[in-house]
Amino acid sequence: MAVKQFLHSKDLKALALSLPGALFIIFFLFIPLATIVVYSFWRTESYTMIADWNLNNYLTILTTKTYLTFLFRSLSMSLAVSFISLIYSWPVAYYIAKYGGRYRLILTMLTAAPFFTGILLRVTAMQQILGPIGVVNMFLSNIGLKPLHLLMYSHYATGLGLIYLWIPFMVLAIYLSLLTFDFKLLDAAMINGASPLRAFWEVTLPLNWIGTCIGLALVFIPTFAATITPKFLGGVNGALYGNILAHQFGSTGTWALGSAMGVLMFTISSLFVFIVFKTVNLNRSGYTGKIAGE
Amino acid sequence: MASINHQASALKTGQVVLLVLLYIFLYFPLLFITYDSFVHNIIWPFPPEWTLEWYQKLLGMSDFHAGLKNSFYIGLFTAIPATLFSTAAVIGLLKYRTRWRGGMILLYISPLFVPGLLIGISTLMFNANVMGMSGKLISAIIANTTEDIAFSFLVILAQLVRYDWRMDEAAMVFGATPAQVFWEVTLPTIWPAILGAFLVSFILAFNNLEISYYNLGAIPTLPTIAWGSLRHGIKPELFALATVINMLVFSAIAGLFFLIQTGMVRFGYRGE
Amino acid sequence: MDTNKFLFFFKDMQTSSYALQLVEVEKQFGDVRAVDNVSLEVKKGEFFALLGPSGSGKTTLLRIIAGLESAGKGSVFIGGKNVTKNPPYARGIGMVFQDFLLFPHKTVGENIAFPLKMKKMSATHQQEQLSWVLDLVRMKGYEDRFPNQLSGGQKQRVALARGLVARPDILLLDEPLANLDRELRKEMEVEMRRFQAEIDIPFVYVTHNQEEALTLSNRIAVMKDGHFEQVGDKLELYDEPATAFVASFLGLNNTISGEVLRQENDFSFIDWKGIELKIPTPNGIKPGDRIAYYLRSEKMHINPHGKSNPVDGSITLTAVLRDIIFKGQYSDYFVILDNDEEMVISDVPDIESLKIGGKVDVSWLPSSGFSFAADGEE
Repeated sequence: MAVKQFLHSKDLKALALSLPGALFIIFFLFIPLATIVVYSFWRTESYTMIADWNLNNYLTILTTKTYLTFLFRSLSMSLAVSFISLIYSWPVAYYIAKYGGRYRLILTMLTAAPFFTGILLRVTAMQQILGPIGVVNMFLSNIGLKPLHLLMYSHYATGLGLIYLWIPFMVLAIYLSLLTFDFKLLDAAMINGASPLRAFWEVTLPLNWIGTCIGLALVFIPTFAATITPKFLGGVNGALYGNILAHQFGSTGTWALGSAMGVLMFTISSLFVFIVFKTVNLNRSGYTGKIAGE
Repeated sequence: MASINHQASALKTGQVVLLVLLYIFLYFPLLFITYDSFVHNIIWPFPPEWTLEWYQKLLGMSDFHAGLKNSFYIGLFTAIPATLFSTAAVIGLLKYRTRWRGGMILLYISPLFVPGLLIGISTLMFNANVMGMSGKLISAIIANTTEDIAFSFLVILAQLVRYDWRMDEAAMVFGATPAQVFWEVTLPTIWPAILGAFLVSFILAFNNLEISYYNLGAIPTLPTIAWGSLRHGIKPELFALATVINMLVFSAIAGLFFLIQTGMVRFGYRGE
Repeated sequence: MDTNKFLFFFKDMQTSSYALQLVEVEKQFGDVRAVDNVSLEVKKGEFFALLGPSGSGKTTLLRIIAGLESAGKGSVFIGGKNVTKNPPYARGIGMVFQDFLLFPHKTVGENIAFPLKMKKMSATHQQEQLSWVLDLVRMKGYEDRFPNQLSGGQKQRVALARGLVARPDILLLDEPLANLDRELRKEMEVEMRRFQAEIDIPFVYVTHNQEEALTLSNRIAVMKDGHFEQVGDKLELYDEPATAFVASFLGLNNTISGEVLRQENDFSFIDWKGIELKIPTPNGIKPGDRIAYYLRSEKMHINPHGKSNPVDGSITLTAVLRDIIFKGQYSDYFVILDNDEEMVISDVPDIESLKIGGKVDVSWLPSSGFSFAADGEE
């Protein structure tokens, strides 16, 4: 029987298994992200980066009215889309978690499944519904009504498309949080005199606030960076911040300016996540940090 | 009392209505383009003139075969490392309690908080200007892997938090070596989570546009082909493509669901 | 069955007569010394209990024996072999876990045969051992069920069978009855004693439940803060506790503390919040020292006031009866003494003459309690 030293420190084993992926993420995601921070202080001249440290890219963005308009438009769009998704997802996720019973899993998978069919094809599908030759407006004109201009290449169409793309994340985040929520706590609240609505405010929402915040972040971030949806649903004047960012990496080749825009996008997204998670009070969230078997 | 019951059931009905509306909202567009893909008169397809011409056109598209092959490679070679990295990490972090756990979990899910557009442009800049390699399949695979590690990590984590690691200790006490513990006890209980993570990573990488687009240059994938042709107005062959992809995705999900429902998927619950 | 004989023969050949021997075992977790210089011998065929409150280090000690935790210092011998550096799978032990930890994806038969499979035993051999152990735990016919199709008691039997099937040198049990309800626990206690007597494999049983330890085992080690307070025969521990902790941990106790006023022969007189009490003098105690006195409730008697008929040398105090908890063959009486302190007395039920709120006489022999120097805490 081989008698050898068997036990090493738990830290060592945990690190041996988790470090490879962590290094992969650091090297292939964080370092590239860091390079665009560097490039945002350089300048581009005829498709080459020149290491000439300056703040001009940021000054350009912050002083050009068009850029600021796009930024503001994107920010309002993302806030609106996140907020609407939040309001809509809560009752839906709540229903699935509480009354879904043995159909819980399939009901949830059904909300998540469309996400996997790819953004582009889903936007294509949405385009067939909205827009001047979309089935909604075709239907209206077929029965002799005026088409809905609201849905024709407008910000509303973009917003609807973005909700369509990202609401599964919100439902999923809230549902997963509710899975670990003990609904009997509501009985306790109501026996002690809370109305159903009051019980929701006092018990359900606080105990599922982390999940809700995760949902908000997961909807806000891709919405703020949206390029495809506004391009195909927003029409001529529908461009958002992501579109002009992407534009810098296309034909214009103004990479340094684009990098600065990217850094600004990342900063604003992070700020949003930071502010949202500032509202989390771990002591009141029901979070124990414990995992099964401990 | 009656009024409270009334209120509760009204609330419940309201929730059902919202749920059904959500499903209609999510599925009507998908079903409609599926229907559209089989008709000639795509704009107002009533009554339908059935046809398979869009599928023939799809097959005839110049880049279709190359795109399909490239997408498949990106999907496969992203899913393999993403699943391996994340499986190892979840096991390491859950099985061995360590003070690094919180930070590591945060690091692993952090790619979810970086939008695809930023992953795309930053890896483009990094690969082109630092690594001196742009427009290669491998760059797209690496960039997709970073994002999909996060997704598969979450999928596996969500399942494995319920796994009782003392089961492994029990096996060891009864004479199983670490390798035997893994093959006899751990893997047979967690493989559905690993399969799920693999499928999720594969599908996401296969369908990815934003990350792949910036990393691939002229190399076609199905989403970049779709993107290219969409820019020149509606192409009905895309409906055919969407239908094919939707079918594949939904059959994968249905298969996974079947596995779970038939009880082939049982995790190491405690005391059950 | 020939193999079994051979196994026993082989065991007898081994030099050490101990099934388990711990020599100065220590384990440190950060600043906490979870196991502090513990030495122990468990003989073949013994039913040994490690008893202690949670956090006393008893589970850590069990895990060190199993090899799931490394010993910081000291050695572990199992079946006469030094296994200190061996991994769990090379120690020849069996174990029963608190939550059973049956493998959910394996049938009852596969679960039980797992240790045999790991030993790469031949299929016929496996079948032989399996049928022997299924007979032992009375689970014949359940081989093809899955763990989630079993009741709690059946799971417990399967867990025991899995622990015993490979005829280990020693079976470790980690609070195996903690998750069973009271009825089932009583039944399993009887069953476990039967298994143990039948197969001659020593059991090392960890529990925080003194009743369980007293019922099941031959010998008990009481553990506190990582060290053994006392190791010995269970009756010895119960009747002659070596430390204040052992005295307080076993049985239902009244704890009395006070300052020694004077001493006479072998007895001291203490001031217990205004009442002068006669107690046996602990070693090295002088007047002015503080002591703690533990008095088992069943060693005391209760009678209506003025109707007591105490044995010679008894102390009798008057009190008011506050509450009676009926327990069947006896009752627990809660009384309040003149100094406002409460005591509990276990005595035969007497519904006729003992009434709540009535005056009672409480009496006991001073020598029936245990006194120790108070270590400041309480």
